[in-house]
Amino acid sequence: MAHHGVKHDYHIIDPSPWPLMGSASAVVWAFGMVAGMRGLFGVAKGEWWLMLVGLALILLTMVFWWRDVIKESKAGDHTPVVQLGLRYGMIMFIASEVMFFVSFFWIFFEMALFHGHRAGDMSAIEEVKTAWSTWPPAGVETLDPWHLPLVNTLLLLTSGTAVTWAHHALQQNDRKGAIQGLLLTVILGALFTCVQGFEYMEVAKEHNFHFFLFKDAADATGAANLYGSAFFMATGFHGFHVLIGTIFLIVCLLRAIAGDFTPKKHFGFEAAAWYWHFVDVVWLFLFAFVYVIFGGPH
Amino acid sequence: MSSTAITHERDTHADSHAHDAHEHKPGFFARWVFTTNHKDIGTLYLIFAIMAGLVGGAFSGLIRWELAEPGLQVFMKGSMLDSMGLFNLSNPDHAKHAFNSVVTAHAVIMIFFMVMPATMGGFANWFVPIMIGSPDMAFPRLNNISFWLLVASWVLLCTSIFTPSGPGGEHGFAGGWTMYPPMSSHTGSPGPAMDLVILSFHLAGASSILGSINFITTIFNMRAPGMTLHRMPLFAWAILVTAFLLLLSLPVLAGAITMLLTDRNFGTSFFDPTGGGDPIMFQHLFWFFGHPEVYILILPGFGIISHIVSTFSRKPVFGYLAMAYAMMAIGFVGFIVWAHHMYTVGMSFDLRAYFVLATMVIAVPTGVKVFSWIATMWGGSLWFTVPMQWAIGFIFLFTVGGVTGVVLSNAAVDYSLQDTYYVVAHFHYVLSLGAVFSIFAGFYYWFEKMFGVKYNKWLGSAHFWIMFVGVNLIFFPQHFLGLQGMPRRYVDYPEGFAYWNKISSIGYAITAVGVVVFLIMCLEAAIVRRKGEANPWGEGATTLEWTLSSPPPYHQFSELPVIKEDEDAHH
Amino acid sequence: EDVLGQPTDKAMGWQPAGSALKRQTEWFYNDLLFPIIVAICLLVAGLLLWIMVRYNKKANPVPAKFSHNTLIEIIWTVIPVLILVVIAIFSLSLLRDYNNMPKPDVVVKATGNQWFWTYDYPELGVTDIESRLREDAKDIKTAKAAGIPYLLEVDNVLVVPVNKVIHVQTTGADVIHSFTVPAFGFKIDAIPGRLNNTWFKAEKIGTYYGQCSELCGKDHAYMPIEVKVVSDADFDAFIIKNGGKTRAMIASEAAASAAAAEEAAASAATAASASAEAAASAAPASAAATPANASASAAPASGAAAAH
Ligand code: HEA
Ligand code: HEA
Ligand code: CUA
Ligand SMILES: [Cu+2]
Repeated sequence: MAHHGVKHDYHIIDPSPWPLMGSASAVVWAFGMVAGMRGLFGVAKGEWWLMLVGLALILLTMVFWWRDVIKESKAGDHTPVVQLGLRYGMIMFIASEVMFFVSFFWIFFEMALFHGHRAGDMSAIEEVKTAWSTWPPAGVETLDPWHLPLVNTLLLLTSGTAVTWAHHALQQNDRKGAIQGLLLTVILGALFTCVQGFEYMEVAKEHNFHFFLFKDAADATGAANLYGSAFFMATGFHGFHVLIGTIFLIVCLLRAIAGDFTPKKHFGFEAAAWYWHFVDVVWLFLFAFVYVIFGGPH
Repeated sequence: MSSTAITHERDTHADSHAHDAHEHKPGFFARWVFTTNHKDIGTLYLIFAIMAGLVGGAFSGLIRWELAEPGLQVFMKGSMLDSMGLFNLSNPDHAKHAFNSVVTAHAVIMIFFMVMPATMGGFANWFVPIMIGSPDMAFPRLNNISFWLLVASWVLLCTSIFTPSGPGGEHGFAGGWTMYPPMSSHTGSPGPAMDLVILSFHLAGASSILGSINFITTIFNMRAPGMTLHRMPLFAWAILVTAFLLLLSLPVLAGAITMLLTDRNFGTSFFDPTGGGDPIMFQHLFWFFGHPEVYILILPGFGIISHIVSTFSRKPVFGYLAMAYAMMAIGFVGFIVWAHHMYTVGMSFDLRAYFVLATMVIAVPTGVKVFSWIATMWGGSLWFTVPMQWAIGFIFLFTVGGVTGVVLSNAAVDYSLQDTYYVVAHFHYVLSLGAVFSIFAGFYYWFEKMFGVKYNKWLGSAHFWIMFVGVNLIFFPQHFLGLQGMPRRYVDYPEGFAYWNKISSIGYAITAVGVVVFLIMCLEAAIVRRKGEANPWGEGATTLEWTLSSPPPYHQFSELPVIKEDEDAHH
Repeated sequence: EDVLGQPTDKAMGWQPAGSALKRQTEWFYNDLLFPIIVAICLLVAGLLLWIMVRYNKKANPVPAKFSHNTLIEIIWTVIPVLILVVIAIFSLSLLRDYNNMPKPDVVVKATGNQWFWTYDYPELGVTDIESRLREDAKDIKTAKAAGIPYLLEVDNVLVVPVNKVIHVQTTGADVIHSFTVPAFGFKIDAIPGRLNNTWFKAEKIGTYYGQCSELCGKDHAYMPIEVKVVSDADFDAFIIKNGGKTRAMIASEAAASAAAAEEAAASAATAASASAEAAASAAPASAAATPANASASAAPASGAAAAH
């Protein structure tokens, strides 16, 4: 919104109800989570409707919020300096996401590199000692990296190329190419999610290693449950990011179809592409370390 | 402040155009609830911080009251606290649990809801944009949600205090602010309170991460023409470093507590030894966040003190660049010393030796800061205003807290001191006498600027002296208790610790009077409304906020100021 | 007046040391760290006071304008570094002394439970001594009447021989606890799933108290540690009373079985051609049974055990 008498290019934003709505939704979601996990305020454990209401409200907030952003962008509020700010913001956001993954990789590396300690002096529990005297630990059947994981790696790498194709097309004002590139990226991303889901189902069915949701202390492989925990947390959190990235790309696809992007100005798209590359790199790390290097024998 | 002169006549401009269209303020609700104005958001944060400080201070009062003598006096059935009905003290189990839950809540409230909102939320929001010559923050709407997410987090935390937690249904998470599993996992805290705490931390973390993104972007992208990084005021530098610490450390905490959450609810075994997990892993992740966190708490204070010391010495900051780079060094080294909190968990000799050495390194850049403040004053023309009193108090008391940190960094000594009151004394000297003193210093320094009214100097000084005596009396004797071996997080203690505990509790009573004087000071200023000046501090106050009216216009710098190198700055 | 092994009201320093290592720690603190930190605080305070007197508005109406002095900046960077190097040298050598456990004479295992300790002497066959805060120590008045320290006296104490190296192993049964006796200057967390190690060597017969030092729930303040340091003879008596075998008994039994093995080997040597083989297999068996090696398996020094 333009302000009178302003002689700078920054974007002074009008008051907005969405932040309040967003955090109110977050409270509802959080209470809903706790209620679903443990039971709270008369909502029984295992009932997730409160959480879903909160989640829906959060998503709704995002829609309203970003709709405003797009509106402002169209109104010309996103001057070059504001766009630069958005870039900084996105880079910083991705940096913080990287640190999020660091915590899960940290656990994985601790387990993989020092599994010997669990078998040795460190441990005071016999079952744990036996289970962890080998790598992978007893009861864990690791997945063959050159099978579905390789397919997924190729899928993601191709999608990274596709998104770059879309970017070049955008810069060349080739709207059709951009739409095609984006469509391909989205399809490849969705395929990745499908393959990942399929792999999870296989793991659960074959009991390759303990699917942590079914941890059973009486089961001999319970002592190696950490493997499943670390595996699913790292890959699952990544998968969650793939989903977010895919949705982000879908929004960009719709915007490209609507003709929102110009060769000069398409930061929304670039942010999605950066995010997608970040998700891609995380996968390469997962593939290299979780599947290949610490994948054990097959 | 460093070496800059402002060539602009904008302030008069801004004042004379106070009726401009862009000066038009939204209605009350839109202005304070939907706000996208960095100054209003800063004010909201400050009010929030004061509220939280009072609650956290009251909680510490319960702690000191209970610990005034050996035996249980407060956390028991039939006590005065019981008659208030706030906590469930119906049987000894509930009562002892309630004490631990109050200690936990005290720490969480003071750190996440008082110090961080006051420094990052309040002062940084208010003054970083102004100091770098920017009209607002980079993402004003994001700025707003940072604040409201903190309120959301607060709601969850407060709910958790009154929600079942312990094995016997005791209320409130009671495992300490460090949340070590298995105390925080299903074993130690089967009730929903811990889940609420975890999600509360998630929201507070999100709030801080978004805030950090905002500050970093603002500082990188919105400096006025001529405001190079090397001319940027030290407070802005402090906030820049702090924002990076938050951005890079908080997600690790978020990851750790996410795993804690899935351990509690979805059958994972990250920290559960029977499944091959390891509770010590949580400690590593926690302190990888936790140690940077303590610098997050103090670095903004460093920035504030630099300004105050320079202003009231009427002298530029000594060694400006060294000051900025020292903060960066502290921030960087702060990431690689975390396990000095874990000397007793059974790490290898090499690791302990490494963490001893790395930790000690931090004393060097910190010393640079302390000595540079002194050198700034040296040769100056000192004016002992209320903020200056707090600043000088800060420098001394922070040094005391810092050197006991160096004592603790020696693993061999830490074996005797870890988890004793020596540690409690150490961190309160750097927090309650360090960070809090810097907050009060900043509050008095910018009071007139922010609120447009003058405070009563006599009340301000009284506040300082009463607090100074009070907090020292609380925390100095705790060193003795620690050396004698008194463990922390104890609801009751052997008689051998009675004397100094009594003194400490008397100190609390004095401190409480000081806090009351603070409130009276605020009230008095609000009622009497002496009109504030644009720059009450004279020629020593060189940063941009002093070129604006008090309070500044709703939107400052509609025309950006231009910063030029000061002629004689580098001599 | 200071009492050995427990806190003294109004005291401002350490509890009296009960072991050489703790004495070293106290020396390190009292004679090195403490003077240094006090000197630093006094220096800062002194400078501040001087500035306040000399450079206040009245005394110095016109401020200087300098903001740089490379020499002084180098000095206040280098001198702290030197001080820290000195501290670090002593610190690490003391840390090494803590780390390098001499050959242990007795191994005790302390398990932290909510909210009591259990003690084992794994090599001596004594297990599961439950140690809880004594009922009459739970109340100031009854404790006074019984002449025991409030909140410190336990029902079953941990007994160790004087002037012997005691290898302490700890683990946690439920949540993390921490095992410490201030007079001996050690503290080691008792962590579920982990076995931690440290050691101490008590110099004087007497009773020494400690308190659980990791928050473990509502009765964290009510699970003290009481170590009774006794003579060798009393220690042996204690072990026998608790159904264990003293080191001497284990040694003589081992010697007897070794002798038997040797005898068997000797007779076998005359009898069969496989004699050499038999002797070879008997030799390590007898060596393993000697007391010196009985504890060798537990010899890795504290901390060397868990290495990350
Ligand atoms: C604002 C917060 C803050 C700050 C700034 C610090 C600063 C430091 N801290 Fe502190 N610390 C805490 C908050 C803080 N700490 C908290 C909250 C805990 C407990 C957490 C918990 O368990 O709940 C803790 C615990 C803690 C421990 C663990 C104790 C234990 O649990 O056993 C250790 C150990 O190394 C430590 C060390 C240090 C050091 C070396 C510094 C250094 O940065 C200090 C550097 C400063 C100086 C040294 C003074 C100025 C320097 C000079 C004048 C130069 C000359 C000096 C020398 C040559 C020495 N701290
Ligand atoms: C910033 C952090 C902070 C602050 C300010 C304080 C302040 C105080 N603390 Fe706290 N404390 C902690 C952080 C803090 N503490 C932590 C981390 C722990 C460890 C918890 C654990 O073990 O898990 C702890 C534990 C702790 C214990 C040990 C409990 C135990 O181990 O059993 C004790 C005991 O005396 C204590 C006492 C006090 C007292 C008397 C104050 C007094 O100084 C309080 C006086 C009140 C104030 C100084 C607040 C005034 C401020 C305002 C009113 C806001 C102003 C705002 C603006 C101007 C914007 N604290
Ligand atoms: Cu056991 Cu604290
Ligand atoms: Cu630290």
